[in-house]
Amino acid sequence: MAASPWEGEGGEVRRCSERRQKPSHAEDRGTTAMTSSWKQQLVQVLLVLVSCGHGDTKTAAPTPTPLPPVTPLKQDAKSAVLTGKNFTERVELSSPVNMTLSCTWKGDQDKPPNITGHWRKDGQEIQDSRVTVMLEDENYKLIQVFSVVSEKDLGNYSCVFGNEARIDFILEVLQMGEKRDKPVVSYIRDFVVMTCKVEENKPIPTTWNWYTSNGTDKEQINTTASKRFKIVSEERETKLKVKDLTLDDAGQYYCGAVYPIGTSVGQVELKVITFMEPLKPFITILIEVVVLVAAILLYERSRAKKDSAEGTQTNAEQNTEPQGDDKGAEGNDSVRQRK
Amino acid sequence: MGPAPAEVVGHKPLDGGWGWMVVLGAHISIGFAYSTPKALSIFFKAIQEDLDASYSEIAWISSIMLAVMYAGGPVSSVLVSHFGSRPIVMVGGLMCAVSMVTASFGSSIVYLYLSIGIIGGCGLCFNLNASLTIISKYFLTKRPLANGLAMAGSPVFLCVLAPVNQFLLGQFGWRGSLLILGGVMLNSCVAGALMRPITPPPVPSSGAPTKNGDQPDKRNTKMKQRCMKKATKFVDLTFFNDRGFVIYLIGNVMYIFGAYAPIVFLSAYAISQGVEEYSAAYLLSIMGFVDMFVRPGTGLLANSKWIRARVQYLFSFAMIFNGTCHLLCPLMKSYPLLVAYAVFFGMGFGMVFALIFECLMDLMGNQRFPSAVGLVTIIECFPMLLGPPAAGFLVDIFGDYKYLFFMCGGVIVTGGLFLFIMNMYNYHMLEKENLGKTRKPNPTSLENPDGANNSEEQMELNETKGTETNTAREDPGLERDKETI
Repeated sequence: MAASPWEGEGGEVRRCSERRQKPSHAEDRGTTAMTSSWKQQLVQVLLVLVSCGHGDTKTAAPTPTPLPPVTPLKQDAKSAVLTGKNFTERVELSSPVNMTLSCTWKGDQDKPPNITGHWRKDGQEIQDSRVTVMLEDENYKLIQVFSVVSEKDLGNYSCVFGNEARIDFILEVLQMGEKRDKPVVSYIRDFVVMTCKVEENKPIPTTWNWYTSNGTDKEQINTTASKRFKIVSEERETKLKVKDLTLDDAGQYYCGAVYPIGTSVGQVELKVITFMEPLKPFITILIEVVVLVAAILLYERSRAKKDSAEGTQTNAEQNTEPQGDDKGAEGNDSVRQRK
Repeated sequence: MGPAPAEVVGHKPLDGGWGWMVVLGAHISIGFAYSTPKALSIFFKAIQEDLDASYSEIAWISSIMLAVMYAGGPVSSVLVSHFGSRPIVMVGGLMCAVSMVTASFGSSIVYLYLSIGIIGGCGLCFNLNASLTIISKYFLTKRPLANGLAMAGSPVFLCVLAPVNQFLLGQFGWRGSLLILGGVMLNSCVAGALMRPITPPPVPSSGAPTKNGDQPDKRNTKMKQRCMKKATKFVDLTFFNDRGFVIYLIGNVMYIFGAYAPIVFLSAYAISQGVEEYSAAYLLSIMGFVDMFVRPGTGLLANSKWIRARVQYLFSFAMIFNGTCHLLCPLMKSYPLLVAYAVFFGMGFGMVFALIFECLMDLMGNQRFPSAVGLVTIIECFPMLLGPPAAGFLVDIFGDYKYLFFMCGGVIVTGGLFLFIMNMYNYHMLEKENLGKTRKPNPTSLENPDGANNSEEQMELNETKGTETNTAREDPGLERDKETI
C-alpha cells in the first residue's frame, strides 16, 4: 500500500512556523483530488456520522442527509504523524471548509492489534467518535472530516489514541503577519496613523474593522459618530487615523480582518505623551553641551594667560613670532590685538 | 621672506599632546557625519506611516543628506581655510541640531527633505571637512594613526546610535527622538571646542589678513589678489594637473561606486539565502564591530616605518582585498560563511576608509588638502548616489543578488589594481623628478621614497621640510603664490 495521500509532506513531526511558510493547502488538495473519487464515499459516510455527532443544526436537516444543503464547501486536509506523546499543529483558515484531519501514530513498545481512539474538540470528547483502530503497517490511523463553517467550529481538535497519545490540530482564523510589540507613540493635539496589514500570499479579508478597548470589552469604532477617527481600508491594508489626540486616547486598539470563517484580530498599542517628555532629555543634553564647551574654552583661556604671562616675562622676541604653541593656545582676539 | 618658509614648513606639527584631544574631537565629529544618515533609517518606518509616504520617498531623506554632505565639500573647505576648523565645526553642530529639531515638527515629506536633508547635510559637511583638515594640521609623523582613530568614529557612533535610536523610538516616537537626536548632535560643538586652532585662521593660499602684522603694506595688495583668487578657489581645477591627484580620484570614484551597495543589500541577500531576518541584521552589526577595530589598527600599520612612505600601496591593497571579498560573496550560502564574509568585509572596508583621507593628505600635503578634499567629495557624490540604485537595478533585472556582488567586487578590484599600477608609475616619476630638482640640498630626498632606509629622525626632518612623497611638488605650488605677492 502506497503511503497515504494525506501524509502530504512526509512523516516527520514538524514545527508550526515551518509549516506556515509553505503553502500546503494546494499540495494537499492536489493529492487528495486524485484519490477523492473513492474517498468521497468514505467522506460522505463520515460526514453523516460527524454531523450527527456534532448536532450540527446549520445543515438544517434533523435526519442524516448525504450532503449538507449549503454551497459545496472546499476540501482540505491536514495530517500529522506522532512519534512521541504529544504534537500540536496550527491550521489557519479563512473560509469555510471540509477539513479532513488524519492522525498516524507509531504506537508504543507493546503494540496491541486494536486500540480505542477518539476525537476531542477543545478538550471535550466528541460524541460517538470512539472507534477501534487496527494496527496497519505498524501504525495506527485515525481519520476524521470536520465541517468548519463558522467561528464556533474553530478550535482545538485532538485525536487521541488509547488514553495518552494525542495530536492537536488548532484550527484558527488566519493570523496577521506582523506582530507589533512596540507601542506607537504620539503627542497631544497631534495625529497618529495605525496600520494593520495582511501578508501578500494570504487571502484578502472581506472587510476591516477597528475596535478600541473599553474596559475588558472591544468596542467598534464608528467613524461617522466621532469625527476624529478616520478609517481607510484597502484590500490588504487598513489605516486608522486619529486626529487631535488626548491622553485618554492612549491604550489598545484592535484591527479586525473579517473573513468568511471569522475575524482575525491584530493589536496596536497607542501611547500619548506630552511634548514635555522628550523636551526634558533635550534640555539636559543642551545644558551638558554648554557646560562642556564653556569648560574647554575657559581651560584654554586660562592656559593661554599662563603661557603668555610666562612668555612676556622670559622672551619678548618670541612673542612677535607668528607661530608656536603660544599663539596656538590663544584663540583670543584680545590677546592678538595686544601684539 | 621670513614667515613664508616657516608657513611652508608649517609650524612643526604637535604630533601629540593636545593633538590627541583634537583627534577625539575629530572622532566625534566624523562619527556624527557618517553615522547619522544611516542611523536615521531606523525612524523611517514610523515616519512613513505617519506621513503616508512610500519607502522610496522616505529613503530619499538619507540620500539627500549624504549628497549634500559630499557636495558641500568645496564650500566647506573655503570656509575652513578662512575661519579655521573650530568655528566651522561648531556652526556645523548647531546646524545639525537645528535641522533635527525643526524636523521633529514636520508634517510633510518635503519639509523633512529640507530640514534633515539639506540643513542637516550642510551641517555634517562642515563637520567632516573641518575635522579632516585639523588632523592634517596637528599631525605629521603620527598622522596615519590619528586618521585611523578619527575615522573609527563612524562605526563606533553607528553601533551606539542604532540601539539608542531604537530605544528612543519606543519611548518618544519619531518626533521626540528627532528632538533628542538634535540635542545629541549638539555635542559636535563640544568636539569643535576641542579643536584648538594651531595658528590663526589665515593660510597663505587664501587670504584673511590678520596674521602678518609685520607687513601691513603688503596686506592690501594681498587682499585684492586673494579676492580675485577666491572665486576660483571654490573649485580649484588646477588640481587636475596633479598626476597623483587624478590617479587617486579615479581609483576613489571606482571604489565609492561599488562600496555602499553591498552594505545596503547584505541583509536582503542573507534573507534570500534562508537566513532569519534578525540574524541577517546581525551581520551588519558584525561588520561594523570589526570595522571599529580595524580602522585604528590600519592607522597604526600605516604609521609604521615600512609602510609610511608607500602608503598608497597599502591603500590599493586594501581596495583589492575589499573587492575580492565581494567577488567571493556569492559562494557564501550558509550563515557561518556569511558571518565570515561580514568579518572580512568589515576588515576591508575599515582598511580602505582608514586610509582614504590619509592618502589624500599624503598626496596633497598640508596646504592643499582642504581644497583637495572638497573637490574629491563633490566628485565622489555622483558614484555614491549612483552605486546602490545601479546595483538594485541589476538585482531587479536578473533576480539574483550574485550579479550585484560581481559588479561591485569587479569595479572595486579594478579600481584597486588601477591605483596600484598607477602609483608604481607615479612613485617612479617622482623619484625621477626628485633626482632632477633637488640635487643640491637634500640628498636625503632621494632616499625618501624608499622609506625603509629612513630613521625616524630623518623622516621627521625630511617631512618637516616638506619632502613627503609629493610635497616636492608643493614647493613649486607655493613658489607660485609667492610670486604673485
